[in-house]
Amino acid sequence: MEIIISILAGTLFATGIYNLLQKQLLRIIIGTVLLSHGAHLFILTMGKLKTGAPPILIEGVNEYTDPLPQALILTSIVISFGITSLLLVLAYRTVNENNTDNMEQLRGNEHE
Amino acid sequence: MSNLAVLPIIIPLIAGIILAFFPKKLVLIRFLTKVFSIINLVTVSYITWTVFTSGSIIMETGGWDAPFGIVLVADSLAILLVFTTNILAVACAFYAPYSLTDRKEQYYFYSFFFFLISGVSGAFLTGDLFNLFVFFEVLLMASYALIVLGGEKVQLQESIKYVLINLFSSILFVTAIAFLYSVVGTVNMAQIAQRVQDVEQQGILTTIGILLFFVFATKAALFPLYYWMPKSYFVPNPVISALFGALLTKVGIYSIIRVFSLIFVYKIDLTHEMFIWIAGLSMIFGIIGALSTNNIKLIVAYNIIPAIGFILMGIGIFNEDSMSGSVYYLIHDMLIKTALFLIVGTITYVAGTSDLRKFSGLIHYYPLLGWLLFVAAFVLAGIPPFSGFIGKLLLLKGALSSGEIAIVIIGLLSSLLILYSIMKIFIKGFWGEKDESLEHKSTKGLIAPIVFLLSLSVMLGIGAEFVYPSIESISAYLLNPEVYIDSVLKE
Amino acid sequence: MIYIVLIPLLLACFIPFISKFKDKIHTGIFVFIIPFTIFLYFIRFIGNEFSPIHQTYKWIPSLDINFNFYLDGLSLLFVLLISGIGALVVLYSIYYLDNSERLGHFYVYLIMFMAAMLGVVLSDNIFVLYTFWELTSISSFLLIGYWHFNERSRYGAMKSMLITIFGGLSMFGGFILLSVITGTTSIQAMIAQADIILDSKYLPLILGFILLGAFTKSAQFPFHIWLPDAMEAPTPVSAYLHSATMVKAGLFLVARFSPIFSGYEWFFIIVSIAGIVTLCWGSYMAVRQTDLKAILAFSTISQLGMIMAMLGFGTKIAVFAAVFHILNHATFKGSLFMVAGIVDHETGTRDIRKLGGLLTFMPMTATLALFGTFSMAGVPLPFLNGFYSKELFFDSAIHLTEGISGTASFLIQVIPYLAVLGSIFTFVYSLYFFFGVFRGKTQLNQLPKKPHEAPFGMLISPIVLVLGVILIGLFPNLVNGTFIAHAAESVYGSEVVKELKFWHGIDSTAFQMSLVVVGIGTILVSTRKKWNGVYKLLPGKLSFNKAYDWLISMLDVYSNRITRSYMTGSIRFYFAAILATTLVVTFTFMFVTNGFTIQFNELAEVTIVEIAVVLLMIAAAIGTIFTKHNVAAILTVGVVGYGVAILFVIYRAPDLALTQLVIETVSVALFLLCFYHLPKLEKNDETLSTKTINIFISVGFGTLLTLIAIASHSTNSFNKISDYFIETSHSLGGGDNVVNVILVDMRGLDTLFEIAVLGIAALAIYSMINLRNNKEEK
Repeated sequence: MEIIISILAGTLFATGIYNLLQKQLLRIIIGTVLLSHGAHLFILTMGKLKTGAPPILIEGVNEYTDPLPQALILTSIVISFGITSLLLVLAYRTVNENNTDNMEQLRGNEHE
Repeated sequence: MSNLAVLPIIIPLIAGIILAFFPKKLVLIRFLTKVFSIINLVTVSYITWTVFTSGSIIMETGGWDAPFGIVLVADSLAILLVFTTNILAVACAFYAPYSLTDRKEQYYFYSFFFFLISGVSGAFLTGDLFNLFVFFEVLLMASYALIVLGGEKVQLQESIKYVLINLFSSILFVTAIAFLYSVVGTVNMAQIAQRVQDVEQQGILTTIGILLFFVFATKAALFPLYYWMPKSYFVPNPVISALFGALLTKVGIYSIIRVFSLIFVYKIDLTHEMFIWIAGLSMIFGIIGALSTNNIKLIVAYNIIPAIGFILMGIGIFNEDSMSGSVYYLIHDMLIKTALFLIVGTITYVAGTSDLRKFSGLIHYYPLLGWLLFVAAFVLAGIPPFSGFIGKLLLLKGALSSGEIAIVIIGLLSSLLILYSIMKIFIKGFWGEKDESLEHKSTKGLIAPIVFLLSLSVMLGIGAEFVYPSIESISAYLLNPEVYIDSVLKE
Repeated sequence: MIYIVLIPLLLACFIPFISKFKDKIHTGIFVFIIPFTIFLYFIRFIGNEFSPIHQTYKWIPSLDINFNFYLDGLSLLFVLLISGIGALVVLYSIYYLDNSERLGHFYVYLIMFMAAMLGVVLSDNIFVLYTFWELTSISSFLLIGYWHFNERSRYGAMKSMLITIFGGLSMFGGFILLSVITGTTSIQAMIAQADIILDSKYLPLILGFILLGAFTKSAQFPFHIWLPDAMEAPTPVSAYLHSATMVKAGLFLVARFSPIFSGYEWFFIIVSIAGIVTLCWGSYMAVRQTDLKAILAFSTISQLGMIMAMLGFGTKIAVFAAVFHILNHATFKGSLFMVAGIVDHETGTRDIRKLGGLLTFMPMTATLALFGTFSMAGVPLPFLNGFYSKELFFDSAIHLTEGISGTASFLIQVIPYLAVLGSIFTFVYSLYFFFGVFRGKTQLNQLPKKPHEAPFGMLISPIVLVLGVILIGLFPNLVNGTFIAHAAESVYGSEVVKELKFWHGIDSTAFQMSLVVVGIGTILVSTRKKWNGVYKLLPGKLSFNKAYDWLISMLDVYSNRITRSYMTGSIRFYFAAILATTLVVTFTFMFVTNGFTIQFNELAEVTIVEIAVVLLMIAAAIGTIFTKHNVAAILTVGVVGYGVAILFVIYRAPDLALTQLVIETVSVALFLLCFYHLPKLEKNDETLSTKTINIFISVGFGTLLTLIAIASHSTNSFNKISDYFIETSHSLGGGDNVVNVILVDMRGLDTLFEIAVLGIAALAIYSMINLRNNKEEK
């Protein structure tokens, strides 16, 4: 199953990057969201899947899944959320200010 | 005692939070900013002194022993960089009020400024790879906030690229940490370093290492990953450019130094050899970039790339001279890049444009500014007896004793062109007939921080005898990762 | 000796203050004291008995960079030249530059240069030498650009700086190599280990590096091009830096290092060829010039070439002659520059085509010029020092056989002819200079000012120099034994004292060569108009100046073109480049290091539910690429997000699942809010090739990460640190939910700063929304 999840995460990366390579800002942002999902799945997989009970200590259970990746993912999810929100507002402002969401028109070479 | 290590991170964090409470009271905020930055510098000086007299300070946060909790490792390299960071912070804190508009100051500039310092210090000090990621995010988030501050059209347009590229590299960073965790079962850098030696299948480790290298190289603005850098350093206010130029890329290159002297040191013929190539290409393309433009801010921004190239070259060669050279150059470049960004910022302010074709003869009005630029050009190019010279000497010496002739020739030629690129500003912008149409503007408060930084730079060269022995010990320490591992894991 | 070098540097800082009083008294008068005192200090070392003096002052001992001053014959000669000519030049400048000039600046640069130049010739430590070397380039740059409102001055300053600093850096490279090989930074210690250097495989490189430094500084062909443009500097500067001292630093360097390299064949070949070609080219080009200072500039180039060639010959006579000529050249060329300055000052032009017949107006100046030019031409008269050195030059050119064989033997045949050729042109331009200015028709209407004799003060310095020409000519042995011989000895290594005689007999080959020079020279001078056409053929349109200009403009054009070609501003391109590089390099590394492994033990079992979720997520992820509707796109992304949450549930991560659900919901809401305002999604209208590249990069990257993930997962031989967390969570952490305990306790710092990130983001968003450009008032 780890291999399958790895492939899934890889697919998320692939689709994320494909979106990243588009012109429209909206698609690019969607791409980054997919990428962070992919990254979180990678972290999860790296801690081994389903090796034991959820990491909440209960009398008599000896096998738990690895708690550390979960902690890391949690931190990462929150941070991604922060960045995504910032990115959304930034995108909104950029599009408003420049009247386009096409990144190819936001090259800005006039300052050299 | 060991709790000292957290102060350089916490003081600016608290300062930033406090300043966020009354954003409109500018007089108070400016005053507090100066006070806090000085308090922080004093504290850091004390810590630096402690580290250099009685050894690294290891702080186990929450009282959890390494490798289980997060450790902060204030070793000589980290604390030296934190110290330099705070010197720059003070200079910028004094420059900022004269350069920024009131509106920008009101919109939390100083808070972001302190958060940035906090994040940078944290990144230097942490001994935990995931924690490094967190501090990267802190400093990046602060930098996102600073770069869009003002929200002009160009700013938005460049910042969105900046945010996107950095976001991508952050995601890749977390992923690489995950991979590494799977292989070695830990995220503590010392323990990773210790375990790496016993891994049977080192191939995958090297691959992960390269992935990490690309993450850091993107932040460090190395060839060919620096696309985001020149323009995004050009759009914001000079203080912000200065902070970015001095700190952000340096955090990236610092991480490379750390990771590739501590962890991935078993395949030097492959990894470090590649660094030398990348270093050479960074120098070449960076300087080509600097020569390509007439925009003085862009000239300075492009000059970051060859400097990072020089530092990477030292890591690539990886002997005692070259590593001392890298560290020396790192400190030197932090100082001089800040000074240069502030100088071109001031020039842009007094000339009313950053286009070199549109002004000349400034020396008739601003002689001091002109001579500061003149000296800065030589400092930057590594002409003796200034600080760049010592760094360059060590780097080239290291390279030549390892027989790396090609990179030395590239390095020497790029030094010449670096000088040329800055002297162009001096000759075209400062020399020439007096321009009567130019409105005379006051440079009050803008010059002193520059003088301060530049004299430190000069001292770092002339007074090398006071600094070099410490740098040399840092280099020896970096080449001997056991010391780091033992001091953190207490074995 | 450190005071001799550093005190002028310190005093230089005070000059601007003194110059505040320039209306009452000329700044130069104060400044004059500095070089003059130094000259007096050193003159006491002249004498038949002389042994080198060594003094060390610490600077950066841990890098082996110290002020090791070493005064031997060679440096003594230079020190006397620097301070002596320096004093005369300052004296001259008092009358040349009036109070309206920025005298403070001028003298600061000049004294800075003088101190630096003293540093160059006195330093035994290569890095200190290099430091002073660059300082001379910098002060020369400032002096050339002194009248920086002239476009030509700026151009000349930049050119000289680029070329000399280029050489300086190259020399620096050579020095580092030398210090790496020998383990010392002292030149004298290196000379003692010459055999190690000669055996090193880097020898050609070292030689090349160091000679580049010397050739650029001493304006050797083809690096000579900066010197004529350096004539934009005020004339005292040209006389001092660009004729008597700085340009001789390259000669000094070659002389200093010749004890090391003299045994190396290529040293002979390169230095001799460079020197002799420079001699010929410089003198040939000098005849073509119309500006007096340009004539002198090319003449300087050619004379430097001659000295360089002799240093290359390396024989006993040659070395002696070289050293002797360094002195002689300084005397006559210094006086000629001052003459040119006087002419310029008193007539308002330096164009030789407008000048003529000035003898009647300025008899004194003319007399000085006569001695200067005739000495330079090497006219066989017993009171002209130039003749002696020229004679010795010919002598050394025909006695080259000692110790030379192999490749170099061809050179021996050619050199005497080239020597004569160069000297013929030297003769021609010398006479052209004198007769063009002082004889012939006066064209008063062409002159901006009515010519008259210069004030006496201005004449003092050239008079002193011309007296030097005559005295050395009459009593050559006076200077010979007392310091020239010492200088030559320190270059050659053993005793070289040679009686100098004026008359060697009519059958001496050297004398016959001199006669040929005078003969053909005279013919050429009188028929100059007839053969002037050769300059159209050579150099014609080819010139190294053009090459330099071309190079600089190419640097501008191509750097711009290259940079624009990849700094396109297109984020798509940036991403593509960054990703492609990362992809290719990482793949290569994985392949080279055999990084990929896979093993199937210990894997979790596969269940239908999971597969279903996975497939749904893959479908949704791919779906995002094809959706054309904003809301649909957001919802599809939402599916992936919720899918992740489900996986978290399946993989025993309840906290994560909860967080993910909350965050996903909030995100979707945020997205909807923002996207409502964003333009509609459009169909992808990329070309097929872009599409292919995109697919290649994205699929490649996904594959790469999947492979690394599988390989990482297959190589875990260590205990995870989390075992410790599970063990101690309850006992030490006081909580049963291990993830929570990790977050708030073990990794509390992460969490603290994670919250900080959110806080900063909130502030940033707030200020982004509120602080708009249009509201900005300044």
